[in-house]
Amino acid sequence: MVSAVSMAVDLGGVRMKNPVCTASGTFGFGWQFEGFFDVARLGAVTCKGVSAKPWPGNPAPRIAEVRSGMLNSVGLANPGAEAFCAGSGEYLAGLAGRGCAVIVQAVGHTVEECQAALEALDSLAPWAAAFEINVSCPNLKRGGRLLGGTPADAAEVVRAVRPLTSRPLLVKLAPVDVAEVARACEEAGADALSLVNTVNAMSIDVHTRRSRLSRPTGGLSGPAIHPMAVRMVWEASQAVSIPINGMGGVASWQDAAEMVLAGATSVSVGTASLYDPDLAARVVDGLEAWAVEQGVSDVNELIGAFEC
Amino acid sequence: MGANKSRARLFDFTVRSNERVAEDSFAMLVECEVAPLLSPGEFVEVGVPGDASQLLRVPLSFSRADAEASTLRIEYAVVGDGTRRLSQMRPGDASTLVGPCGHGWRLPAAAGRALVVAGGIGIPPVVAAAEMLAAAGVRFDAVVAAKTAGRIVGPDVELLRAAAQGDADFRLAVATDDGSAGVRALASAPAAELLGERAYACVYTCGPAPMMAGVSAAAQAAGVACQASLERMMACGFGVCGGCNVAMADGSMKSCCMDGPVFDAKEVLW
Repeated sequence: MVSAVSMAVDLGGVRMKNPVCTASGTFGFGWQFEGFFDVARLGAVTCKGVSAKPWPGNPAPRIAEVRSGMLNSVGLANPGAEAFCAGSGEYLAGLAGRGCAVIVQAVGHTVEECQAALEALDSLAPWAAAFEINVSCPNLKRGGRLLGGTPADAAEVVRAVRPLTSRPLLVKLAPVDVAEVARACEEAGADALSLVNTVNAMSIDVHTRRSRLSRPTGGLSGPAIHPMAVRMVWEASQAVSIPINGMGGVASWQDAAEMVLAGATSVSVGTASLYDPDLAARVVDGLEAWAVEQGVSDVNELIGAFEC
Repeated sequence: MGANKSRARLFDFTVRSNERVAEDSFAMLVECEVAPLLSPGEFVEVGVPGDASQLLRVPLSFSRADAEASTLRIEYAVVGDGTRRLSQMRPGDASTLVGPCGHGWRLPAAAGRALVVAGGIGIPPVVAAAEMLAAAGVRFDAVVAAKTAGRIVGPDVELLRAAAQGDADFRLAVATDDGSAGVRALASAPAAELLGERAYACVYTCGPAPMMAGVSAAAQAAGVACQASLERMMACGFGVCGGCNVAMADGSMKSCCMDGPVFDAKEVLW
């Protein structure tokens, strides 16, 4: 399709041919979706979070369905940096070669583990366009409070990992006081911000009186959190000058367009990919048609174009 | 992580029939081009229309995938909102499904008779196993169990008998939790008895976990290989959400949708 609208965006140094990305943990390592659509049509993909060493994750059950959403306590199960690069590196290098930027998320339970993950990935993943550091993990050294739940904590993580890669660094924020945390991350050297991560939530089986997950709480995702995520993207975009990768319950191109208007440079499709696996490709088409309808020549004109 | 390749695709399907086959269970025949791609013991993720607030597809096994007719026979129990709405779909209704998902049954490594053991709504993949065995010329016996007589999926029992047609030695044992049909026991009890009486090359089982644990233990005690089809909460069915983990005896975690749902029973931590 030849388009009159330029759809390319620059997410803190990640050049994307369109604003559509995928949220970590909901798109595997990309190859799982090749049967549903040509993944190279996306502006970028973000891989599931990878730690320095393999993490087995939490016991079953890890998933509970709730109204308009889903709770998970997967516990960031992943094969570790080495096995990840050995198993999916060739596919992801090819995907990068086909014009889709690959963002690799690094995870750790402590600042040191975050450093170890990023260090390993920076040397093993030359095909990665950027790295995303997840500061929404519980910090095991600090009684399980979030690694980056406060401005000071988030800045500490970003400062610790920033020198470890010369590639763009994204920070994935928990749905907390995002304006303050966003400012702290920008000052500490982040190139872009991804928000929001899942919302800590509960679901109880009233017959057994037990959690419907193996843990008392889990992360809520899906359309249930979308309006809250739009508000947080808007607040963060007012607070910082670095670009924002908006996410949270995007289940249609309209949801993605809302994120753009609220101030997101790119938009990630998350949980919806699990039950509507070709949605991200349809969001690419939908956003472009919307930009045409809005009468702009460049989608960048619509970023933050919300009128209140 | 798998072979870096997923077979899962998105397909439209149309309901041909959807009828009650036991107190709590229905059999649905759907027309879908996924049928020729499916192997016995695999599964599909079915999108159930009617409630936009219920997002996830429902993972369902099938008793028969007919490649020529492009049909799929899916039996399911009504256990929640999704399966209740599924039971209300009428001939001609359409939706989508994702498949093929998972890895199915393997033919026995050794020559000899097989034993298939079904508990409750675990029966459809067991029928698929029996038909796979029959097509390969492997004879089998069957154990069918359910909570009560009313919950036994009658048409599936008939499919098991039909697959065993011509085998004069075929044995079918029935068990119920309350004794309303067959013996009062879990399926593992008659399975253990048969394993003691006859020589088997392989056991195939699907049903509630405690029952499969018993079947697995009985097979191991008899020195017979055992394949078990497991069930988990799943969000996607194609190796992405990380939700359907299975704890293995060696301490590792496997993915039910990618490494299973059929596992070597002795490798599972029951």
